Amino acid sequence: MATRPFSALGCAMAGAIVLSACSAGSSTNDDPSGSDSDSTQEVTIGLFAEPASLDFTTTDGAAIPQALLYNVYETLLKVDSATGDVVPALASSYEVSEDRLTYTFQLVQDATFSNGAEFTAEDAVFSIDRVKSDDWTVSLKSAMDVVESAEATGEHELTVTLSQPDNSWLYAMTTGVGAMFDTEGVGDLATDPIGTGPYVFANWDRGTSITLERNEDYWGDAPFFGVVEFAYFEDPNAVNSAMLTGDIDVVGTVQAPESLAEFETDEFQIIEGTTNGEVVLSFNSDKAPFSDVRVRQAARYAIDHPTLLDTCWAGRGELIGSMVPPTDPWYEDRTGDYPFDLDKAKELLADSGNEGVAVRLRLPNLPYAVACGTVVESMLEDAGFEVTVDSLEFPATWLEEVFTAKDFDMSIVSHVEPRDMQAVFGDPDYYTTYGIPEVQALFDEANTGTEEEQTAKMKEAAALISKDAAADFLFLLPNLIVADPDITGLPENAVSTSFDLSALARE
Amino acid sequence: MMRLVMARLNPSLIVGGGLVLLVVLLALVSFVWTPHPPMKVLATQAYQRPNAEFWLGTDRFRRDVFTQIVLGSRTALFVGFVSVGVAALVGVPLGIFAAMSPTWLGHLVMRGNDIVLAFPALLLAIMFAALYGGSTQIAMVAIGIATVPSFARITRSGALGVLSTDFVMAARAAGRGPFAIATRHVLPNVVGLIIVQASVSFAIAILAEAALAYLGLGTPTGQPSWGRMLFEAQTTYRSAAYLVLIPGGAIALAVLGFNLLGDGLRDALDPKLARR
Amino acid sequence: MILQLLRRLGVLIASVAVSTVVVFGFMQVLPGNPARVALGVNASDAAVARMTEQYGLDRPLPVQYFEWIVGMLRLDPGIEYISKAPIGPQIGDRLLVTLWLVAAAMVLAVLIAVPVGTWMAMRHRHIDGVVLSGLSQVGVAVPAFLAGIVLISVFAVRLGWLPSGGWVVPASDPVGFVQRLILPSISLALVQGSVLARYVRSAVLDELHQDYLRTAQAKGLRPVQAVFRHTVRNAAVPVVTVLGLQLAGLLVGAVVIERVFVIPGLGSLLLDSVGQRELLTVQTVVMVLVVAVLVINFIVDALYVVIDPRLRVGGRA
Repeated sequence: MATRPFSALGCAMAGAIVLSACSAGSSTNDDPSGSDSDSTQEVTIGLFAEPASLDFTTTDGAAIPQALLYNVYETLLKVDSATGDVVPALASSYEVSEDRLTYTFQLVQDATFSNGAEFTAEDAVFSIDRVKSDDWTVSLKSAMDVVESAEATGEHELTVTLSQPDNSWLYAMTTGVGAMFDTEGVGDLATDPIGTGPYVFANWDRGTSITLERNEDYWGDAPFFGVVEFAYFEDPNAVNSAMLTGDIDVVGTVQAPESLAEFETDEFQIIEGTTNGEVVLSFNSDKAPFSDVRVRQAARYAIDHPTLLDTCWAGRGELIGSMVPPTDPWYEDRTGDYPFDLDKAKELLADSGNEGVAVRLRLPNLPYAVACGTVVESMLEDAGFEVTVDSLEFPATWLEEVFTAKDFDMSIVSHVEPRDMQAVFGDPDYYTTYGIPEVQALFDEANTGTEEEQTAKMKEAAALISKDAAADFLFLLPNLIVADPDITGLPENAVSTSFDLSALARE
Repeated sequence: MMRLVMARLNPSLIVGGGLVLLVVLLALVSFVWTPHPPMKVLATQAYQRPNAEFWLGTDRFRRDVFTQIVLGSRTALFVGFVSVGVAALVGVPLGIFAAMSPTWLGHLVMRGNDIVLAFPALLLAIMFAALYGGSTQIAMVAIGIATVPSFARITRSGALGVLSTDFVMAARAAGRGPFAIATRHVLPNVVGLIIVQASVSFAIAILAEAALAYLGLGTPTGQPSWGRMLFEAQTTYRSAAYLVLIPGGAIALAVLGFNLLGDGLRDALDPKLARR
Repeated sequence: MILQLLRRLGVLIASVAVSTVVVFGFMQVLPGNPARVALGVNASDAAVARMTEQYGLDRPLPVQYFEWIVGMLRLDPGIEYISKAPIGPQIGDRLLVTLWLVAAAMVLAVLIAVPVGTWMAMRHRHIDGVVLSGLSQVGVAVPAFLAGIVLISVFAVRLGWLPSGGWVVPASDPVGFVQRLILPSISLALVQGSVLARYVRSAVLDELHQDYLRTAQAKGLRPVQAVFRHTVRNAAVPVVTVLGLQLAGLLVGAVVIERVFVIPGLGSLLLDSVGQRELLTVQTVVMVLVVAVLVINFIVDALYVVIDPRLRVGGRA
């Protein structure tokens, strides 16, 4: 059974500001050198949390695929950011056998890597095998466990055989595990990424920015911008200032939605879409008091979700009742499972003999966690809990104390990987301490069944997780982007971990 | 000593003392009454300007600002007391010891002191926060340790002066042990210096806590703190400036108070330094 | 005098040596296995073990310690665990940035503090002296990052005269470099300048009451001449001490301004590396900072001996 890892939103936001002379305020200044040809079109995108390295095969964190996936590295299939559908990329078409064990991909013929090598089925086999080898150390690799073999059955034909039917494998191939590497191009992944994508890696100014340049030999449609800079900030205020002064053109991910009022003018456009980031208030049910389902239910009833969203995230985002975002096929609105009912919460708490119980809410020091933790504390105290909050350095200390040692009662973290319900709630050893046999059985059936069965079983699993109060689902993080009004092709819904540049253009 | 102080009242002392008294009063009052329930998210509007119900307005989490200011004075005083207390408890004996020891030992202690001095409070706080997570306690301990060298230095320097007086020579000749000399003669005579240093260090501690809160290494959410209020208000500075100016003003006033108090005490206690 | 200087140099070296042990020891106490943090959440124990071995994290401590010391002496402390980037050049670049910022701030601070402080001292009984004194007290009390945020708001966002932050290398864009240096150094200089001004005032006031000044006036020197000729040299001693302390404090203290203005300095490197558990980087950066402070103190002490003949002990001056 594949356990999917999580990567927290904090890593997903990365932006750097590079104020090189030519690109500063490119949208608001007259740019004397830029008006002649497309090749000098530049854009600067502000993000948070710089990646620690460029090698996502050994380093966790969503910041790396955010910059490199689909832009520098490509996969056989990708998720279209406008529609959310799985569409062809390096594989122009594919077929699935009757028994759903064999997938045959026809690969594009004219793709080349940035080091000049041609992309062939051999590279695809190499990439898939590499995931299963010791060279990949991130937990994402478990998605490949179901693959029995990969073979190059033609120069541009790839055949993959699974050990059992698995509905999630094809989707997994659109994420980082499906990235295609050159057999000769993996020597220095941490500082020299080599891919087939529309952009090539140009420069990494540590602590400041990552610069990509257009791949002139790209096999597909050439992207609009010749140079893209991801500028990384630590401080939401600094990003806002940079946007207001025109030092950057786009804020790729807004970390301070309460400040959006400043951008509600004609000089900016604000995009609000959905992400896969469910903000989960997790309960440690391995020990008291949350081992008692009534206490968990009391906590869920005590939280007034609309007020919480309004207060801590400026009302931006969607309310979800379970671990499924609206963009997934098995989504159901489960917000009615535990509507806000303070009396019921107090009653349940009293029934279980836990009035005034002391609990620890241990938060990672990420903006949404800290902001919403403040409100959660206040609401739970109204219901009779005694809450102590502390904020742990993320990722190191939070991973150590909450995730590994499970030394906590409640925590708040966002899980941004797509379709991660099984990974987060299917394993009793995971920090969410759920993974009861019933839900595991549902996941198994969903994976091996037909598409209809998958949808039905996943819905059941989501319902069970919600009714059992395995955790509370505060809200779904919004995808918030602020940009110059003439920029188009920005990803409205963050359906993958990539900040897809291929459709980006300026009118 | 009080007579000395009263005889030399000066503007710094009065204004500084007044401000400090104000902060202390706020803190004491907060134990019996706050305008609104402390740190509660109220189901009313966020970002309200000062009005009749919420005297200084509300913040982004719909909490009363005035209540937070009043409660925050507690944290500010707490941080100041603990850091200065730690620094004095360690630094003063160290300084006296260094002054009364044979020269080589005294120098050794002072060199060690210099090494600690090389670790500024912010650096220590960052290192400790990595170990234990950001919190008020961590901030206080880090600031306290970083302030020890100042106390040690000033105590030693004052003690050296006292040790060369006739009193002490006579006491030594009379056979008094070092401990007696330290407590009976040295300590009372350096108290003035220590108090002045304490006042200044108090101000520095409050500023340091604000800086740490800004970096996310200070008081965590849910507990009142002026530094924390600044941290939470910075992203909406342009649309809700009062949320930054009010706690910023509180910090500045408290720091100003302690600095003026220190200056005033220094002027009052040492006739040689009197300027008015 | 030379003997004294040599002795202080010896003390400096010994202090540095002790500090290395302290810093190294501290790093070992940090929780969070760096290999596990680097490899992420569900990394297999085997992978963690492999990385631990690869970076020699399981070797005996004295061995790791000596390797680190040797590396620093050779100016090549190694590469980072996760990003594989060489640490030496990174620290060098960041140190340079911080030095520019701190130097600019201190120069501005001195330019403000000396005239203002002297004025405050000479006019301490008049209303303008008192007002200035009050203002300097307020300047000391305002947190620097608050000043920074306000300056950005006014000069960058509202007026658009200057960029809101960032950094460029002076060689590639001198104008942009200067533009980006202005607001952050002013933010720092406002506070540091106020502190320094108060020390200047205090030092000058001390000197103004000295007898030799009366003697100089009796000899026929006008007050201003007297002040400059005699006071400055003596007042310089405590002021230089404070300058040294401020400089030392700013190397790390500027991290807050670095955050506000998005400047890639040493303080930011430290904060980020701690979060990413890049222990080698943290150790090395802390050592650089400690050494810098100790060296600055040494220089201040040495300057004492040079400036003030009363402090020269024994031997021939």
